[in-house]
Amino acid sequence: MAVAMMKRLSSGVVPIILLFGLLLVSLYLMGRATQNSEEFGRLYVALLVINVSLLILLMVLIGANMVKLWRQYRNRATGVRLTMRLVVMFVVLAMVPVSMVYWFSLDFIKRGIDSWFDVHFEKALEDALELSRTVLDSRMRDLLRRTEAMAGQLDHVPDERIPVILGGLSGDSDVGELTVLTVNGKIIASTSSSTDRLLPTYPDEAIMLQLRHGMTYAGLDQISGVGLNIRVVVPLKGASGRILQVLYPVSERLAVLTDNVQSTYARYDRLRYLRDWLKFSFALTLSLVLLLSLLTAVWAAFYAARRLVAPIRTLAIGTRAVASGDYRRRLPLPSHDEFGVLVQSFNDMTEKIAQAQNQARHSQQQVESQRAYLEAVLERLSSGVLTVDSHQVLHTANAAAGHILGVELNEMIGMPLSALADEHGHLAQFVRALTEPLTKGEHEWREEVTLFGAGGRQVLICGGASLPGVTESEDGYVVVFEDVTTLIQAQRDAAWGEMARRLAHEIKNPLTPIRLSAERLRHKYLKTMPASDTDLLDRSTHTIIQQVEAMQEMVKAFSEYARVPKLERRPLDLNRLINEVLDLYRDHAPVQWELYLQTGLPAVEADVGRFRQLLHNLFKNALEALGERSGGRITITTQCVEESGFPFVELRIDDNGPGFPAGLLGRLFEPYVTTKPKGSGLGLAIVKKIVDEHGGMIMAENTEDGACVVIRLPLDVSTGTVRPETGVGREGNMRPRSQSNGVAQRGEMA
Amino acid sequence: MNRGCRAINRASANWLALMALLVGILPRAGTAAAAEEPEFVIRSAGTVLVDKVYQLNARIHYQFSAEALDALDNGVPLVVELVIEIERKRDYVWDETVASLRQRYQLSYEALTQRYVVTNLNSGADNYYGSRAAAIAALGDVNHLPILDAGLLNPDEKYTVNLQASLDLDALPVPMRVIGYFSSNWRIASEQVSWPLQ
Repeated sequence: MAVAMMKRLSSGVVPIILLFGLLLVSLYLMGRATQNSEEFGRLYVALLVINVSLLILLMVLIGANMVKLWRQYRNRATGVRLTMRLVVMFVVLAMVPVSMVYWFSLDFIKRGIDSWFDVHFEKALEDALELSRTVLDSRMRDLLRRTEAMAGQLDHVPDERIPVILGGLSGDSDVGELTVLTVNGKIIASTSSSTDRLLPTYPDEAIMLQLRHGMTYAGLDQISGVGLNIRVVVPLKGASGRILQVLYPVSERLAVLTDNVQSTYARYDRLRYLRDWLKFSFALTLSLVLLLSLLTAVWAAFYAARRLVAPIRTLAIGTRAVASGDYRRRLPLPSHDEFGVLVQSFNDMTEKIAQAQNQARHSQQQVESQRAYLEAVLERLSSGVLTVDSHQVLHTANAAAGHILGVELNEMIGMPLSALADEHGHLAQFVRALTEPLTKGEHEWREEVTLFGAGGRQVLICGGASLPGVTESEDGYVVVFEDVTTLIQAQRDAAWGEMARRLAHEIKNPLTPIRLSAERLRHKYLKTMPASDTDLLDRSTHTIIQQVEAMQEMVKAFSEYARVPKLERRPLDLNRLINEVLDLYRDHAPVQWELYLQTGLPAVEADVGRFRQLLHNLFKNALEALGERSGGRITITTQCVEESGFPFVELRIDDNGPGFPAGLLGRLFEPYVTTKPKGSGLGLAIVKKIVDEHGGMIMAENTEDGACVVIRLPLDVSTGTVRPETGVGREGNMRPRSQSNGVAQRGEMA
Repeated sequence: MNRGCRAINRASANWLALMALLVGILPRAGTAAAAEEPEFVIRSAGTVLVDKVYQLNARIHYQFSAEALDALDNGVPLVVELVIEIERKRDYVWDETVASLRQRYQLSYEALTQRYVVTNLNSGADNYYGSRAAAIAALGDVNHLPILDAGLLNPDEKYTVNLQASLDLDALPVPMRVIGYFSSNWRIASEQVSWPLQ
């Protein structure tokens, strides 16, 4: 409560004005009182106490302000240093002139009071007093002689005659009252010129005491009810203990003059005595004024400094708020002066910043939403999208890209493309296909890339274009690629199907009438024709029928090739299937079959019928290559290998035949490419087709002592068909693979 | 010359007092060493019933300070106040003040006649004395001062008379009052003397 009141007292304007007004009134009254004014003289001490109390109150208020300021300084509050500087400046500005006025005023008061006392005036006043004394003494001496003369007439006079004699003595015009009394105060006789007074005036005890010692008394006495009189008292001779008192009224003129001299001298004497007291009083009042003024100035300095610093502190707080990102802070307007304009400008500025920030945030949100939209679009694209910078560092990649490539591309963000190839070897060709045009600085390119990874063979169509950045260093490229493996397969199937249909329509259909016509000719004319012609007809029709049959076989084989059966994939034990198929050829002499089948070979997901045909074609192809040669040997090897982190099953068939002609090595798997006189040219093409249908890869190469066909079939890792243990084939250790000098066949159709 | 020395002494005393006042410490003002400590002592006091009026007789010893006597000789009148109170004794509560009388005497010096005047400020009567000692002695001699009509009192009750003499500081000139309130040379008062009213 008291603290709150103190805060209100020390912070408001009204209390300051009230206190200052109170001080002025109090000091005014005190100044009046110092001048000995009657109406304020009684209040002097009270005013002094009030002023001292106000002084103490001011000190307490200033102390509270100083404590508050010190706490703010310790807490490093905003604006406290400026407040302190302003307070010190205000105090110094107030103290210097006030102190100068104080010391000059003090000196002026001392000199002013001293100037009241003039030596000549003082001498004149003392002379006047002395003159008055002389005149009065002379008069009193005369009156004493006259009184003593009167007393001579009363000496030895019996009491009864005294009134008579007094009556005669009172005839003098300047005698006011005659009284004969004893030293004990008993009045014997009295006469007075005034009829107003009934009782005579008694001499006081001091006079009576003086008379008892036989002395006379003559003095100027102010007698109550009578006025100023010269009282003369003398003892009477004769009768002991009698005295005569005579009052001689002082003339009014003399009384006025005497009173003037008396009062003026007394006042002057008193003033002279009070000179130092007056100086002290004035100095005390002036000192109080000085102290109150100074303390008021100090208090006002605190108040003014706070008022001046308040908007600056508010601005500083607002600036900190803005610096910390709070743009919604609005500062209260302190006034309509320059500070008010400044604060208003600050508020306008923060409002505009807030608006700009809102716009920026809105724009950012729009950008974010567009980015999210683009990301969503990219994520849902079936095409893979990559962006790289000018240093071939991967920046972004959508989910489809990782899905197509079979790697987690998000982990590769920020890494160069070469790292992608290093960590995922099966992507080396893909990376190479990307880096070559990037290195050359091509603005746009398109390329087809074939990969063999965990998912088997993949054909990717890659397209790239440069991305212009804001700066040259921000330039980059966008790469879009699609997995067209399935599409190519479908296109090829459709093409072969169309071709088979046309063959059936254009060739197979006419063959039957041709054959029937030939057989009819033979049947009708062979028996009726002369013998010389019969042989010709027989040979011609036989040739026609034989060739038609050959053509029908060829069309049938091609239809088989072009047929797109529905695959029925099931886990397949390749080793067992090899043994089953091989049972049909095992007795075929003089070929030696060598098997290196890995035990525990993982099962492959494959169509058994299609794979049985594949093995037939391969075995038959190898046997045909060996022909009737002695010492022929066919080696069948199966094994599970891992390359670039992807496991797959490899089937390898080696023979020690003549090998593939070098000119045909690049086209071995194309239809109708054969070296055999009776071959259809579709054996290896069908093998490649089956391998492609299963996502595998086939390669053919010539070895040191023959030829070799290698088939790799991907393993589905998710099915868990990979068996960890790998062992040795049942017929001996696996033969180390020979160095390949062939080329991998890409299998796609021309 | 003597007067000049006194003025210097007074000035220095006043400035010391001022400084003391400003710092809140107020020792005994004045440097003039009085021969005796200023004091008012009521030597004897009593009341007599004369014509159904109680009259006060008292002998009071007034020992003024040298400063006060100096002021008196320089035209500053001194006022002595006798505070006479008659209280009715009560058993369980405080005594009741039946009557109160403030008798004031002014002691002054007349430069013209070089006499000291004792003025009864209640009645206006003046008494003149040739010496300061005589005036002070007369001031302390209170004879037959009527204080209360006996008819105003209940004869069955017991009454007490209190008497105290003091120097009236409010009667001093204004410039002297401040120091007067805080200086023992001026703040002179007797012990309060009480006796049963008879």
